[in-house]
Amino acid sequence: MMKRKLGLVAAATAALVVLAGCSATPPADEGGKDITLWVMGGDTPDALRDYLKTEYASATGGTLTIEQQDWSDALSKLTTALPDPENTPDVVEIGNTWSPTFTSVGAFSDITDLVPELGGDKLLPSFVEIGKVDGANYALPYYFGSRYMFYRKDVWAAAGLEVPTTLSEFSAAAAKLKTDTQSGFYIGGEDWRNGISWIFANGGDLAKKDGDTWKSTLSDPKTIAGLEQLQALYADASLAPVTEADSTPWVNINNNAATGAPEAATIIAPGWAHWSIGDLAPDPKDDTKTIATWNDNVFGTFVLPGVDGGAAPVFAGGSNIAISAASKNQSASRELMKIIFSADYQKMLGQNGLGPANLDYADSLGDDQFAKALVASAADSKLTPAAPGWAAVEGSGLLEEFFGKVNGGGDIKALAAEYDTKIDALING
Amino acid sequence: MSTIAPRRGIRAPYVLIVPAVVILLAGMGYPLIWQFVTSMQEYGLAQQFGKPAPFVGFDNFVTLATDPVLWTVVARSLAFCVLTAAVTLAVGTLLALLMTVVTKTARLILQIALLLAWSMPVVAAMTVWIWLFDRRRGVVNYLLDMIPGVEMNRFDWLSTPLTFFAVASIIVIWMSVPFVAFSIYAGLTQVSDEVLEAAQLDGATGFQRFRHIIAPLIRPVIAIVLLLQLIWDLRVFTQITMLQDAGSKSGDYDLLGTYIYKLGTSSQDFGMASAVSILVLAITIALSWFYIRSLLKEDEA
Repeated sequence: MMKRKLGLVAAATAALVVLAGCSATPPADEGGKDITLWVMGGDTPDALRDYLKTEYASATGGTLTIEQQDWSDALSKLTTALPDPENTPDVVEIGNTWSPTFTSVGAFSDITDLVPELGGDKLLPSFVEIGKVDGANYALPYYFGSRYMFYRKDVWAAAGLEVPTTLSEFSAAAAKLKTDTQSGFYIGGEDWRNGISWIFANGGDLAKKDGDTWKSTLSDPKTIAGLEQLQALYADASLAPVTEADSTPWVNINNNAATGAPEAATIIAPGWAHWSIGDLAPDPKDDTKTIATWNDNVFGTFVLPGVDGGAAPVFAGGSNIAISAASKNQSASRELMKIIFSADYQKMLGQNGLGPANLDYADSLGDDQFAKALVASAADSKLTPAAPGWAAVEGSGLLEEFFGKVNGGGDIKALAAEYDTKIDALING
Repeated sequence: MSTIAPRRGIRAPYVLIVPAVVILLAGMGYPLIWQFVTSMQEYGLAQQFGKPAPFVGFDNFVTLATDPVLWTVVARSLAFCVLTAAVTLAVGTLLALLMTVVTKTARLILQIALLLAWSMPVVAAMTVWIWLFDRRRGVVNYLLDMIPGVEMNRFDWLSTPLTFFAVASIIVIWMSVPFVAFSIYAGLTQVSDEVLEAAQLDGATGFQRFRHIIAPLIRPVIAIVLLLQLIWDLRVFTQITMLQDAGSKSGDYDLLGTYIYKLGTSSQDFGMASAVSILVLAITIALSWFYIRSLLKEDEA
């Protein structure tokens, strides 16, 4: 009896192992026309999604399904779905900083031959570069955004302050604007995506490539200088919790409904946040919501100033786009890429405040103050290290932890040494 | 159960457990075997995308054993699970006792309220709880702030580990008390009224009756409920991860569940994540072992 049962178990196990082994081989192009596109978060407006579906149907006769993934769990979904031909999206938007991780393990198809047709040299260079491995293109830019400052003109004027021209002037102004109920500058303690601007501005970096390996450079004197400046700014100017990360700071710059005053005189936010900033009035269609109308007398924008004036390099937000190597519909996916990189679609991105991948269409952003601030801050923006293990570093939460401890008043040098070791263990994949 | 002596040479019992064993093997066996194999491999994102995984023996376990971070998380998880399970059991038992003494209407209202809490989907309940404890507009801070001399406006519950886990514990207790209360109430209905009445006539107080008559009689129910609570509270995940989304992603706020998830799906180190999972399995078996042994002893007695 026992023997027979064991035999059965062994046979079942063997079968499962064999089945599992099969899924790793990449499939041939089966030439299907019905494909799936994953977009991240709500950044791609509905009008653009409808455009893609219609154009795709008329170009190929197939159906394009667009599935939206949350930024917060996208990394784990990509990790599990991309290797599996049965479940992989065919075309996928990814956070630009995750490109090296996925391209280096072969998650995406080589589309080098397609690049000239998609825009070639006109495509945003830093994003193209981060999607390359050994000279071949795997991931291309989808759109770029950038972060700049939104401030309350009324509050700044009442304190007799002018728009700052250097980073230390900004720190001094922000500290002066802080009261018991109002942050001079609202930034969460764990908000490393905005916090790294201070590192970049001081000439520091998160990591550098030394020969073939990446090394975390938090202990670099320039990085330390940036962190010291950020730590002082957080302590002197921000009332945000030390545990808050990249969040929705615009709720703080609008008037609080209960007090009629803002909780922050200044915030840093992605450009599209301006749709949510302004004088609040009840939404006529839905009385549980409010609509923000931008008011030039009350609200203004400026680009984060550098250490010696000019613009500080901020974190270049945005996405890349790629074809899954495991997709069974390679040629149909390439058709979709052509539609995404078409002049019409690129212009639509710009009109919706998203920096178009093809810089020939950058003027579609318009020439209002938001477009100007976007272009000005994007010109000097920087990406996170193009290391194979960068997605793991982001996923591990180590950066949130490190910035939280720094802004919580920790010993910067000791923390930097500690987290250099922790990040080094992950950064090379 | 043990009054009927099992007869030798009968196959029926074995045949009857075959479906259960097969389902268990198919559903749990494969992941478990995969987990054991992976825990002895170097298995990262490259392996997930088809690269062969090098066999590293017990290397992953050695790395873990010497990692102080892991032991902090283990200690924190055990403390959280023991405290939470103990309070859950205490509150559940008190509610069950309450059900036996109140009027039928009151009992029905209590039971419906408990059932509603029990049937609420975790994610929906968590959303509401996070609102309740919100720093700016949370009802909890609003109410506490109204007490004279208490300054709780803007108090951020999720910004220190102690208050974070206190909130997590309250939520987990709220979610598991109904199950405990109903199980123990079911046990209580089996305690014969005559015995209790006799004790009362002998002058035993309420507490004495509970301590010397009721508790020993429903001991098996309490034991299994406590064991289940300990196991559930050890592998608590959704509540912690949602609170982390609302608060901090820092490692100081990790329990074993979120630690493994971060290690595996977020940092893409599946080898190490599997090794930690094996450790959790070992802890769970160690916990259950005491219970199973005491059950076996009782059977023999």
